[in-house]
Amino acid sequence: MTLLEVDQVSAGYPGGPNILDGVSLAVERGQTCCVIGPNGAGKSTLLKTICGLLRPRTGAIVFRGEPISQLRPDQILGLGISFVPQDRSLFPDMTVLDNLKMGGYTLRDRKKLAERIAAVCAMFPVLEERRAQRARTLSGGQQQMLAMARALLLDPEVILLDEPSIGLAPQIVQQVFEAVARLRAAGKTIVMVEQNARKGLECADRGCVLDLGKTRLEGPAASLLADPQIEQLYLGKRRGPGPAGSAPGARAEPPA
Amino acid sequence: MIDQLQVVILGATLGGVYALMAAGLTLIFGVMRIVNIAHAAFIVLAAYLSFWAFTLYHIDPIASIAIVMPILFGLGAAAYRLLFARIADSRRHSEMTVLLTFALALVIEGVTGFLFTGVFRTTTPDYASDSFELGPFYVPKGQLYATALSLVLLGALLGFLRLTRTGRAIRATMQNRAAAQLVGVNVRRISTLTFGIGTALAGASGALLSFLFPFFPAKHWQWIASLLALIVLGGMGSLLGTFVGAMLLSIASAVVNDRYGPTWSPATFFLALFVILLVRPHGLFGKKAEL
Repeated sequence: MTLLEVDQVSAGYPGGPNILDGVSLAVERGQTCCVIGPNGAGKSTLLKTICGLLRPRTGAIVFRGEPISQLRPDQILGLGISFVPQDRSLFPDMTVLDNLKMGGYTLRDRKKLAERIAAVCAMFPVLEERRAQRARTLSGGQQQMLAMARALLLDPEVILLDEPSIGLAPQIVQQVFEAVARLRAAGKTIVMVEQNARKGLECADRGCVLDLGKTRLEGPAASLLADPQIEQLYLGKRRGPGPAGSAPGARAEPPA
Repeated sequence: MIDQLQVVILGATLGGVYALMAAGLTLIFGVMRIVNIAHAAFIVLAAYLSFWAFTLYHIDPIASIAIVMPILFGLGAAAYRLLFARIADSRRHSEMTVLLTFALALVIEGVTGFLFTGVFRTTTPDYASDSFELGPFYVPKGQLYATALSLVLLGALLGFLRLTRTGRAIRATMQNRAAAQLVGVNVRRISTLTFGIGTALAGASGALLSFLFPFFPAKHWQWIASLLALIVLGGMGSLLGTFVGAMLLSIASAVVNDRYGPTWSPATFFLALFVILLVRPHGLFGKKAEL
């Protein structure tokens, strides 16, 4: 069953042009969808539009069968969609514990809050060890874990992850993808934007290629990974003998 | 030696009041990025309210805090809602808020001048002219009470910010406004509340100032200049920095006052500011933007 549907959405920043220009995406309950594409394709904008920080100019976003395009960010959060932005958006001078408490800010029930904090700490044990430490003193990987844990605090059904591996050392990137795998195992529906397209697709059920604000391709992650042209255009690295004119980085039209 | 220590004691017993005066300014800047030039005007307004209560109803200036703080809270919250909330997302936020707070300061000065005239005023409870003797030293009772009370209020503020859900939301908004919105904090409500609390703190310090220094409507210009120097020194937006900056500057200005005379004492704030900014451009406890 489709849990979250983005239907022909165009959106952009206030006073600016459309960054998204008719994007469509459907995510089933419990699935992980990885959005890939070149810089400036609108990947982050898509997540910001889903969580309500930006409003769609045209098109609709439907969650559990209800349109949510006109709701405020806190209302969308309340429905069960949490966003982990690219800059992680932690509270640098607050402790790990206080950051987690802020994640449950909308929960007024203290007992429930304590239960939820215990639950996410069980998922990310490193946070339990460092609960009294200030967020700014954590390593990049730990900060990413904290940002994910904070987003999990309200037990959302959908988690939007914006470039979880950005700016991290390769070994740490592995840990972050393991964390994503744990979220998946916990039954969360995940929409993830990733520069590291190969890694991202490898831990996803479905993939979506975004370019110049349009959905170019959507399909099972495995078949995107296997597609030689996608591989050349977006996954980089392996330079096998390919069709002329589609060298890595070239702006050829991928198969639709 | 004894003389020098005496000067330090006099400076330190004023430091707490400076810290209280500046705490509201720091809080408002921290949450809303508004440099509230009208802050000292609110302090002088509060001093007049205490003066009124003292002269007309014989209410002790310290006791009048209980009346002055809620009034100033209301004025601050209303000022935020009416003047500042609507430009919160403006691209010219800093320029507009500087002009707005400047104008607000002029309006308050005009109103106090109209109501109370330009005559120097002060409240005169018994303790204002009395002191404790401690061996070779003396501690003016008024200063001691004022600083002790300031510390109590600052402690209460810190407790509120650290231990309550709303206090946590205020700190979170100070550290990362966008992230606070992301976790569901109503930033507009928190801003109104913070402006109210900051102005209420100005109110409490005004009541205390009423028996420490003579005041008149335009006195706030002198105060706001010193307070701005003080919070920049402490690193804008840091309450601990504000407190340490207040103590240091208060003692330094008492020493300068003693050595070189009262004319130079206000200049201490700015000289210290220049020196600190040369050595540490982010202030004593300031931080670079990050995370």
